[in-house]
Amino acid sequence: MDQKDILFKQIFDANSKKIFHLCYGYTGDSDSANDLLQETFLKVWQNLDKFRQKSMISTWIYRIAVNTCLTYLRSEKRQAKDELTDNIIETRVEEFSEKNEQVALLYKSISKLEENDRLIITMVLDELPYHEIADISGISEGNLRVKIHRIKQKLTELYNYHARI
Amino acid sequence: MQEFEHIQSLWQSHSVEVKISAEEMLDQAKKEVNAIRTKSLFNIGGMVISFVAISSLLLFFDFNSWTTAAGIGIIVLAVAIYTILLYREHRLISRNDFTEHPGDFLNKLHEYQVSRYNLYNRLYWFYAIAVSLGFVLYFYEILGQMDTWLQIVFSVFTVFWMVFCATVLRTSFMKKEKERVDLLIEKFERISKQLKDQE
Repeated sequence: MDQKDILFKQIFDANSKKIFHLCYGYTGDSDSANDLLQETFLKVWQNLDKFRQKSMISTWIYRIAVNTCLTYLRSEKRQAKDELTDNIIETRVEEFSEKNEQVALLYKSISKLEENDRLIITMVLDELPYHEIADISGISEGNLRVKIHRIKQKLTELYNYHARI
Repeated sequence: MQEFEHIQSLWQSHSVEVKISAEEMLDQAKKEVNAIRTKSLFNIGGMVISFVAISSLLLFFDFNSWTTAAGIGIIVLAVAIYTILLYREHRLISRNDFTEHPGDFLNKLHEYQVSRYNLYNRLYWFYAIAVSLGFVLYFYEILGQMDTWLQIVFSVFTVFWMVFCATVLRTSFMKKEKERVDLLIEKFERISKQLKDQE
């Protein structure tokens, strides 16, 4: 194993779980999340030499993952967003045992948010510092705080709405 | 009524499992490219077998007419030239590791696609004409020794097979290959574009 392979393995092991969770939150489907994870890390591998350490490597990887997610569902070849997430979430709900029903409801609620909001909230849920989220999403920290407040409210409403049904 | 803190704890309590390792991930990505390489190799392998089989006719059979030798010679030459062209294309995609140099690989993939298109269009017709001429010369002696009905069967089958290869087989092969390469190009272009956007 050469130096680049070793470094990549370390980066993959340190970040893959969080990136997978981000992709899972975005798609609500583990197979699609797996595709997105692979595409993200393929880009990381290809551009590892170009990484200039101006930001943290995790921020750089998150930025790649966010762009990958956004391009993924916008691609003409994919199914329409709502159709995709609805079908998948419905299937998943059936598969889940009762104790995990709340988690399924959470993913269902996230899937109802706008694409960008979905990615921001998953980073918030993962407790990424606000300045890092601002860096990844290209929004100023001030605007981001307002946006996050609004998304939190919306997600809580959606979650409670789905919980009542 | 649940608060956001509850949602957050729910999210964090849900542990996800990454199903793939770093090595598996790179291997899997390489497999897509290798599928095209393997197909290209099979293609070359098939042509080499044809070359050997047709050439061996000259070694193992004693033909009386010069037309038979000329026919076999033309077919063998056409097959050899086509095989060399196939090999030249194969080198375009086999010499580059896309995980190391994605930009170079993408350029080679474009070059491969154009070259492949030429090979199965303009160049294919030169190949088909040469092989047809070869068969006409070859059959001049061979069919002359057969019954009329066998002559008709062989002639009709050969014409039918050549037409079938030039139309149905060729177009279907080209279509499948174009789809496969297009998908790869689309994937690599998407990757390159996104990274340019981020720089």
